[in-house]
Amino acid sequence: MTSKLVTTDVLVIGGGLAGERCAIEAATAGHEALILSLVPPRRSHSCAAQGGMQASLANCVKAEGDSPTVHFLDTVRGSDWGADQEVANIFAEEAPVAVRELAHYGVPWSRVRGGKNHYFIKGEEVDIDEPLENDGLIGQRDFGGTAKWRACYAAAGTGHAALYAVDSEVVRLGIEVRDRVEAVALIHDGSRCLGAVARCLRTGAHFAVMAKATVIATGGYGRIYGQYTTNATINEGTGASIALDTGIVPLGNMEAVQFHPTALSPSGILVTEGCRGDGGYLLDKNLERFMVEREPQKQELASRDVVSRHMAEVMRGGDGVESPYGPHLWLDIRHLGEEHLRTKLLEVWDICRDFVGRNPAEELIPVRPTQHYSMGGVRVNKDGQAYGLGGLFAVGEAACWDMHGFNRLGGNSLAETLVSGRIVGRRVAEYVSGYELRADTGIALDALKAAEQRAAAWLARSGNGPSVYEIRDAMGETMMHKVGIFRTGEELTEAVAELGQLLDDCDNAVLRSKDPGLNPELAFAMRLRGMLRLAMTVAKGALARTESRGAHFRTDFPVRNDSDWLNRTLVRWGMDEGMPTFSYESTGLIDLPPGHRGYGSDERIEMTTTLDDYNKNVLADQIRHGRLDSDEEMGSRLRRGAWKTATG
Amino acid sequence: MSETTRQLRFEIFRYNPEDADSEPHTDVFELEETPFMTLYIALNQIREKFDPGLQFDFACRSAICGSCAMMVNGRPALACRTLTSDLPDKICLYPLPVFKLIGDLSVDTGTWFRAMVERTEAWIHERLPFDPDATEERMSDDIAAAIYENDRCIECGCCVAACGAANIDSAFLAGAGLNRIARFQMDPRDQRTDADWFEVLASEQGVFACIGMMACEDVCPKELPLLDVYGYLRRKSLATALSSREK
Amino acid sequence: MTQTLVTSAKRQLAHEIISGGTGLVLALFMWGHVVLVGSILTGERGFNWMATFLEDYYIAQPTVVAIFTLFLVHAVFAARKIPAQLRERKRIADLAKGLKKSGREKVATRTAHSPFRPHLESMLWIWQVRTGMIMLVLGSFHLILLGMDVFTPLFGDIVGIESSTSMARVGAGLWLPYAILLLCVEFHASVGLYRLAIKWGADLWMSRKTMHRIEQVIFWLILVIGGLTLTVLAGWVEPPLAFLLDGAAP
Ligand SMILES: Cc1cc2nc3c(=O)[nH]c(=O)nc-3n(C[C@H](O)[C@H](O)[C@H](O)COP(=O)(O)OP(=O)(O)OC[C@H]3O[C@@H](n4cnc5c(N)ncnc54)[C@H](O)[C@@H]3O)c2cc1C
Ligand code: HEM
Ligand code: HEM
Ligand code: SF4
Ligand code: F3S
Ligand code: FES
Repeated sequence: MTSKLVTTDVLVIGGGLAGERCAIEAATAGHEALILSLVPPRRSHSCAAQGGMQASLANCVKAEGDSPTVHFLDTVRGSDWGADQEVANIFAEEAPVAVRELAHYGVPWSRVRGGKNHYFIKGEEVDIDEPLENDGLIGQRDFGGTAKWRACYAAAGTGHAALYAVDSEVVRLGIEVRDRVEAVALIHDGSRCLGAVARCLRTGAHFAVMAKATVIATGGYGRIYGQYTTNATINEGTGASIALDTGIVPLGNMEAVQFHPTALSPSGILVTEGCRGDGGYLLDKNLERFMVEREPQKQELASRDVVSRHMAEVMRGGDGVESPYGPHLWLDIRHLGEEHLRTKLLEVWDICRDFVGRNPAEELIPVRPTQHYSMGGVRVNKDGQAYGLGGLFAVGEAACWDMHGFNRLGGNSLAETLVSGRIVGRRVAEYVSGYELRADTGIALDALKAAEQRAAAWLARSGNGPSVYEIRDAMGETMMHKVGIFRTGEELTEAVAELGQLLDDCDNAVLRSKDPGLNPELAFAMRLRGMLRLAMTVAKGALARTESRGAHFRTDFPVRNDSDWLNRTLVRWGMDEGMPTFSYESTGLIDLPPGHRGYGSDERIEMTTTLDDYNKNVLADQIRHGRLDSDEEMGSRLRRGAWKTATG
Repeated sequence: MSETTRQLRFEIFRYNPEDADSEPHTDVFELEETPFMTLYIALNQIREKFDPGLQFDFACRSAICGSCAMMVNGRPALACRTLTSDLPDKICLYPLPVFKLIGDLSVDTGTWFRAMVERTEAWIHERLPFDPDATEERMSDDIAAAIYENDRCIECGCCVAACGAANIDSAFLAGAGLNRIARFQMDPRDQRTDADWFEVLASEQGVFACIGMMACEDVCPKELPLLDVYGYLRRKSLATALSSREK
Repeated sequence: MTQTLVTSAKRQLAHEIISGGTGLVLALFMWGHVVLVGSILTGERGFNWMATFLEDYYIAQPTVVAIFTLFLVHAVFAARKIPAQLRERKRIADLAKGLKKSGREKVATRTAHSPFRPHLESMLWIWQVRTGMIMLVLGSFHLILLGMDVFTPLFGDIVGIESSTSMARVGAGLWLPYAILLLCVEFHASVGLYRLAIKWGADLWMSRKTMHRIEQVIFWLILVIGGLTLTVLAGWVEPPLAFLLDGAAP
């Protein structure tokens, strides 16, 4: 096997879009980069993104008048004012560049066809003449929660096309990738991150990687919801969890968990929002559309949290379709026609055929809301620099950069991976330049030994304790049913107790397999504690937040409370500490004052301070919470007041 | 849905190269079939109920990441989208041939595909540097759609495993590799000349190593038109060779 | 366009064209062969007339040489695709059988795209190799025999092919190797043409399914004519088309 100690300039943990894009930036600047990934990079979950990537290119008629400012507005509203508005603005401004760069890397974006085009808008057939001068530019489709058509797409395989193009660039640059390797702990000295301990998933051997900068790009942690998630089986949140283990780096907004309205029932496989974007609608058991009445404005295309809640209510009200796996609703895309389905929505076609044996051109698709996206993650400043530990960065879904706040808009996350990958990659490259690798191998070897001992301890434990898989299933049930779409103080309290019990169980769990080498049961067992700890931060965070904001909805506190809760949850939890510590920092500089999102309820508790007072404190407050210096000064990329012209 | 539940009998190849005591053999497991049961569900049940050491790969479990290809009753298929209801009572699972075995049903497709990408240099060549301020170059939607059609390969390795030629020479580019060549060759953004392409596609492991067994296309879970691709590449290389004659 | 192409790649292309091209010519020749030898179906007179015609105009002699050469060239170039090791051959065979067996299951027919779920083509390729090897033996023998017939007076009364010698040797027992050769060559040629068409992309104007149908029709048609020819040559049945030449001058 390879040596026990590896060094590099930039260690990127995660080979999804965010990690790879970041590595490209570092490598282009002349630094050595090493990417670790659980799977070959192209199998990362980014490949599963179907529908599109938001960028205000404004190339088609329904996108006319779109601009980064409108995109910014949609994003902040979508976040229910939970987003850091400066970050949202950086994001909206750079998203078009990211999309064009992908075209440059080779993504076959679907293009505008000049002349007459046939669309479905809110279920109506519409013919639109696209101006001929736009023919051949990158096209856009409609997505939930946006004022304009903005989602750029490559048929229904946007993530796949993007990931393959970006990974090709990684290969072209000769960046080393070690697949089937899992980072299991960060190496740090209390103020600076020095790399990570990794476990080879071919042989089971551990080794340490020392790096000048370490980037966590490990994606979401949907699997803490057990089977009730659209996420891949590898989205177990190990990246967030090794950051949490340090006890120094906080995770942000863990209670902000997105549910996607249309996942297949029962498998949880996602059916893209593009279906509704292209004109599909939702039906109850009487085959009636319920979104028209509930959200007359945006109908099926309100933001995901809103649509999911309406669906959950419809099912609670007894209008769901009963099935052995619980109730579901119908997604109807029959009217889009076979031709459209087999080209623009081909992946949806395949999924319906393969997993429910249905032809979506003729039959309805059984769907229900399912865990989909983790807004929370490793809290970082606008450079992607993690709070608390120098040299540690985070990007993509694993990070809480915080442009999504309490609800991410569809298509914003692919765009985030690339925009933040570019920006954070550049910052990482700058950070690494002129920084000597400290050959503090002692710390690394200690961390390595600790990881090996953890594995050995699992193998050594015997008796008839619970199985790790039982614990996992129990965690999933608790999370879905007690920390789900609708939350109450009572259920959350139960959830916290149950998760506490499961953590104890985990300490007594016994492996059934003692096989040498990889040993899949051991590999999972080593992640389980981390998953339970993440689940606990979600449940406790949700219990503490006594308001409803974005995807976090408390039936006992059903309105948004900008007076007390216009802030971001931070949680720290050292490996040996009994319970997590929560604190709350200012959300960020506020330019667009809190208001109505344009869909969902308009009830809220207004801010009691003035915006100026709020903004004055932000920097000091965030620094108090661990924020490290960013490259540019705070607020330098906020275009104050620009939104006023955009709303008209 | 079936009225009587079936008892499924799984015969699974076992071998752990990391374990000195391990010998290649097959193990038999029995499971009761449930509605909509896929091999993903079945294998996880087997691992969780009977043999926690069983190795296999799944990631997306929705037929999009290409992790889970294996030989299902002699035929390469994506395990995650194979419904047991489409199989007989006896289900025989083997790892994909050609690729290096990691353990049991798990094989190393990542290394093979990275090598393929390197050999075919599967990225857009000789571009001008990216200009962040420029609008995108235009491309007709038809061309974009045609490229997308070939871009859909998920690198599952089914076509490689099913191909007799690849089973003899694992360096043969096979369906996935040849398809990748075609994908970039038809991309107007790629500046490689026909002569550049000729070297790759007519190489010893290129299109002429294909002996027309046609299994690749028949097993491709993404239903890529692989045979069309080979025809295209053959004609293209012939045309290149002919036109290079007349100076 | 001036381009320098790498020689090894050019060699691959050349090999492919040689093996495919010779295969194509041989296969087309065999269609002609059916007609020529099939002239026996009209009786000995027709057969002799045909033979004498081809020899008098010096068509037969160069053809024999050319075909024999093509035959050998094809064998050499096509055979480079045959796996050298027994282990490898077995691997392909196992693979093909596995594919074929599993093809009967429903999983195999889920995708609408390809018509031949029971995986035929891999099996067909293996049989192409096998029939090729048999032909190498039997075909060489036949070609040498005919070569001597055409160029020497060793057989029969004249230098050249005549019905009496042909019928005599077929009837005397050559019918068995000929029957085997016939089966092999028709199978090998029809499958070879089908494969050739697929390889170069004839499916641009015809679906793979249609091509396969055509392949099967040709195979059976020629096999039946050839088989009939053989039985007539062996003297077991009367020429069925003799009436065609009734009244023609002797
Ligand atoms: C089904 C589905 C559809 C979606 N569709 C869209 C869409 O249409 N538009 C949109 O904008 N967004 C969409 N999203 C969201 C979006 O795809 C993801 O948020 C985004 O791709 C995340 O990218 P990432 O690079 O952060 O992480 P990922 O792509 O998940 O990559 C994580 C990487 O980290 C590696 N990794 C994880 N843990 C470790 C470890 N411990 N050690 C080493 N490596 C590790 C993994 O191997 C992987 O390479 C979708 C999400 C899902 C689930
Ligand atoms: C001497 C004995 C022969 C041998 C050993 C032999 C062997 C082979 C082999 C191994 C192939 C497959 C090549 C490949 O896939 O690239 C092949 C193809 C072919 N053979 Fe033969 N063959 C013989 C005689 C013949 C004869 C007599 C004919 C004509 C009737 C013929 C016609 C063809 C055709 C048309 C092909 C297809 C070519 C291609 O796919 O490229 N062969 N042969
Ligand atoms: C130019 C070359 C050839 C000539 C002149 C020729 C001629 C003949 C003649 C005269 C016969 C009658 C039987 C006999 O006299 O023995 C015959 C039969 C036959 N030949 Fe050939 N032949 C040639 C090439 C081939 C080749 C290349 C093959 C296949 C590999 C072949 C396969 C057969 C078969 C199978 C028969 C049996 C009769 C039938 O069923 O058609 N011949 N040939
Ligand atoms: S071509 Fe098809 S079978 Fe081959 S790797 Fe790609 S998707 Fe899989
Ligand atoms: S199976 Fe193999 S031989 Fe050719 S037609 Fe397909 S690559
Ligand atoms: S698990 Fe991703 S393709 Fe099967």
